Amino acid sequence: MNPKEEQLGIGSLETEMNRGFLHILVLSLLEKDMYGYSMVKHMESLGYKVEENTLYPLLRRLEKNGWIASKWDLTEDRPRKFYAITAQGRALRAGLLDVWKNQNRVLDEITKETPHV
Amino acid sequence: MSDKLEAYLEEISHYLAGRAEREEILSEIRSHIMEKAAEGPGEFTDAAIERAIASFGPARKVAERYLDESRPIIAPAYKRYLVRYTSLLFALHAALTVLAVVLKKELIVFPLLYIPRVSVIGALMYLPAAFLTDLGAVALVLYFITQSGKDIQLPWPKFGVDLDEIKPRPKRFWLSRIATAVGAVVMLAITDFALYLFARHQTIFFVNMDWTDPRPLFSPGAGRRLSLIVIAMFATTTLSLLVKLLTRSRWVDIVSNVVSLALIGLVLTQPFDNLFAPEIAGKILPKLGPWLKYTILYSLLFVALMISIDLIKHIVIISRRKLRSIR
Repeated sequence: MNPKEEQLGIGSLETEMNRGFLHILVLSLLEKDMYGYSMVKHMESLGYKVEENTLYPLLRRLEKNGWIASKWDLTEDRPRKFYAITAQGRALRAGLLDVWKNQNRVLDEITKETPHV
Repeated sequence: MSDKLEAYLEEISHYLAGRAEREEILSEIRSHIMEKAAEGPGEFTDAAIERAIASFGPARKVAERYLDESRPIIAPAYKRYLVRYTSLLFALHAALTVLAVVLKKELIVFPLLYIPRVSVIGALMYLPAAFLTDLGAVALVLYFITQSGKDIQLPWPKFGVDLDEIKPRPKRFWLSRIATAVGAVVMLAITDFALYLFARHQTIFFVNMDWTDPRPLFSPGAGRRLSLIVIAMFATTTLSLLVKLLTRSRWVDIVSNVVSLALIGLVLTQPFDNLFAPEIAGKILPKLGPWLKYTILYSLLFVALMISIDLIKHIVIISRRKLRSIR
């Protein structure tokens, strides 16, 4: 975050906004099997920085609710825990994407109505 | 395997104690840190692991991220009741403690309160422990209500002066300072005059205003003791007003209230028999004896109750500020 954003107090609000967005992002990424570190790297390559200690508890909660499933891969020299989306997770993702698209649409409308926004 | 990594995981494990999935969580964090440390330039070193650990975050913060979905100890809607109910319970506890001191008996309000038979000094030692007990009991009830998950509307009587509605002190700085200064000067004059009377006559209580032939109200021993206690009360008030000229801290009020309560406690321990000077006792005691005794007793208890309420008010306000600053 740059100093201007910090001065505006964007930091804590950005964290709150990210909370929902990260759910959609993770559920979208996991269409392909991935492990935690590979997800962090992939998001970074797309220009989205995620706190590592936020991602793993989120994965745990998603798994607990049956939206994603995991399995350990012990074939490599380092054990890795791979995650994949479930059918329930896909349904949830569709619902969340609808909410997100609707929010975007509302914001777009307001921006068009009010040039100063 | 790096000792640093094991120590880090051990610390996280400590904060996750009791969680069934603790080992699974630690394995995944270990895997992530090893992966990240191996990726950097150069060899797989302790320094690389340290950097990966630093990037993952402090152990307590990491553990809390896994714990934050659990139900709070006390739901936000009930937090204000912790202060409200504790204040109420402690006010009752304090009043009953004063009563136990006066009556020299133990008091039991089953199953809420037990006040042992205590002396004045014993009561002063007992009250802080009583406050913690009250706080714990109220917290426990609110904890069970929160964990039940039910929507319970807790009652709170309307006293007119709700502790939540205590207004901040007026900001008319100089006006309040002048009032405090005038109060301090008046109290200083009263204290000095009382000291002068005491130095001259060994008492400050008289039944006439003729200074050439003063007639003390109380017997010499009781008069001396009561005079010293009352002078100490005057001095406490004077001192607190003088200190308030320098600071507006509520701790000044708290100390002043505690000292005043202790002094009232001392007055209450004075025996009523042989209290009055013989010539006064002969005139008033046969007619007014019991009535006078209970009037004095209940007046002092009423004053002690008012001071206790003021004391609790200051403690509550200070506690709230501390809690707010911690958040």
